[in-house]
Amino acid sequence: MKVPSLRAQAVATVAVLAAGFALVFFYAPLDAEGFIQKIFYLHVPLAICSLAGFVVAGIHAIRHLRSGDAVHDARSYVSIHLSVIFGIAVLVTGSIWARAEWGKWWVWDEPTLVSFLIVFLLYATYYPLRYAIEDRERQARYASVFAITAGAFVPLNFLAVRLAEPLIHPRTFSSAGGLPGSMLLTFLVCLAGMALLWLSLVRFELAAKSASARLSRLRRALEGEAYAPPPAGSRIAPGIPSRTASASWMSDPTTPRI
Amino acid sequence: MRARTSSFRAFEAILAKDLRVELRTLQSVPAMVLFAVTTFVLFRYGLDRSALSGSLAAGVLLATVLFAAILAINRLFVAERDEGGFDAIRLAPVDGTALLAAKATALVVYLLVLEAIALPVFAVFFLDSWAGLAPLAGVLALADLGLAATGVLVSAIAANSRARDLLVPLVLLPLLVPVMIAAAGASEPLLAAGGPSYGGIAKWLAILALYDVTFLLVGYAVYDFLLED
Amino acid sequence: MPALPLDEAGKYVAAAYVVFVGLILAYVAIMAAKLERIERELGELASLAEGGGVRASDEVAHPASPDDRSPSAPSEVEPAAAPAPEPAGNVAEGEASGGGVFPDV
Repeated sequence: MKVPSLRAQAVATVAVLAAGFALVFFYAPLDAEGFIQKIFYLHVPLAICSLAGFVVAGIHAIRHLRSGDAVHDARSYVSIHLSVIFGIAVLVTGSIWARAEWGKWWVWDEPTLVSFLIVFLLYATYYPLRYAIEDRERQARYASVFAITAGAFVPLNFLAVRLAEPLIHPRTFSSAGGLPGSMLLTFLVCLAGMALLWLSLVRFELAAKSASARLSRLRRALEGEAYAPPPAGSRIAPGIPSRTASASWMSDPTTPRI
Repeated sequence: MRARTSSFRAFEAILAKDLRVELRTLQSVPAMVLFAVTTFVLFRYGLDRSALSGSLAAGVLLATVLFAAILAINRLFVAERDEGGFDAIRLAPVDGTALLAAKATALVVYLLVLEAIALPVFAVFFLDSWAGLAPLAGVLALADLGLAATGVLVSAIAANSRARDLLVPLVLLPLLVPVMIAAAGASEPLLAAGGPSYGGIAKWLAILALYDVTFLLVGYAVYDFLLED
Repeated sequence: MPALPLDEAGKYVAAAYVVFVGLILAYVAIMAAKLERIERELGELASLAEGGGVRASDEVAHPASPDDRSPSAPSEVEPAAAPAPEPAGNVAEGEASGGGVFPDV
């Protein structure tokens, strides 16, 4: 499978997201909720991508444990990092929606939002966990164990929280299946845009880490072992070997050079 | 065949060792019991109530048990780390899961002892009737399995890190939210003011069971990687 | 084509989208800063490798003697740039070989 260059992917991301937002404001009809409902097209795709990202991180973690290759650890780390950032966006937009809809900045009877909060709190502990383990290899291994455990946790958590809340308010999430065509199309385009955004940012960050790691190796080679400063933030950053997934596009001449 | 028998023997040996050490040094269980009883008193004043029932009772009891469990989970692997127990397991020709299973079982034993003491105290302090206590003990036992399954995993991860006392509650508590939800959901009708009722408990017990199985399986799958040097 | 309502609802929707865009921009800004640092380091190392001595930098402790370094530098870099265990199985996504990405070295 040939991976498109990062530039092409980034352009696609911008195009799809822009198209999605255009659809949101100029095409999708208003429903009973009114204009507030437009937040739905932002909040839900973010949430779906974030959760999918956590699952992807778990898969990378499994591959890391099986192969011992640090590449997968790097991918797992970056996946969780971006999913947590998307998670912040989900919680903030969800809170804004709650405030607009029900007048309060947080509601406990929106089970998806609450589940998301718990998942977010769990994955936020990923960083102190990595930071607390000094040995690089062990850090990566334990982080992978955590990513797998947390990945198994996510569906259980959603199930438990959903069962705990008597559904008082009608949910737009659960009625997603019953969306009229135009709204569904808008939603799907926004979802595609968010997914592309997530993927692009992951590649972006992996490349930055890879470049950083290579630079420090290069520096070590040029100046000798006596001087080998750890790259900034390496304490909790996964070690990246010379051959990573971003190698192919790093040597791609069309990669944007800043 | 021989390997499995020796793994089981290793499991027995480690479990026996842990229980014997606990009996002799009494470092976890008395602390857990004292902590639980004191916390009940704190709740009495924090909530400004001298009688509890239904969801309040369930919440106070479960939160206390959860936090007391963390006390024990913090100490679960300390001896192994300090005395080189991890190395011993690695070198011995037994499955690493013997260590996992032994620690989880020990933790369940500690929790059962805790509940055997704390439940009656809780009833004396707050409850009007003792009728719901027996099925409640069953719910707690199921929750204990879940506590042990994730507790052992997190404890093993934290044992080899710095700030391990901080890491355990930090990572473990979000993981335990479904246990809290399900156990509270099951306990609430059992502790209802008018006497225990059993409606709707089945789904909560099912979730607890699902949680237990899931994390026991996850632990079984990943434990070798935790034991590697 | 609906005009943008400036009533209550509009403000909240706008706030949500602004938060989203703001987060992305913040992320891009941080990445840009990181890339700038990488570029700077790359420049330093390139000049080092070409035997031009070391540009002023807080980090470098020892002065490089250009004549001694330049013959050895390229040969040191070569084996380092195509380093050790490249797992044979890791050919996912059609990656090129990792060595020799820096053409000027």
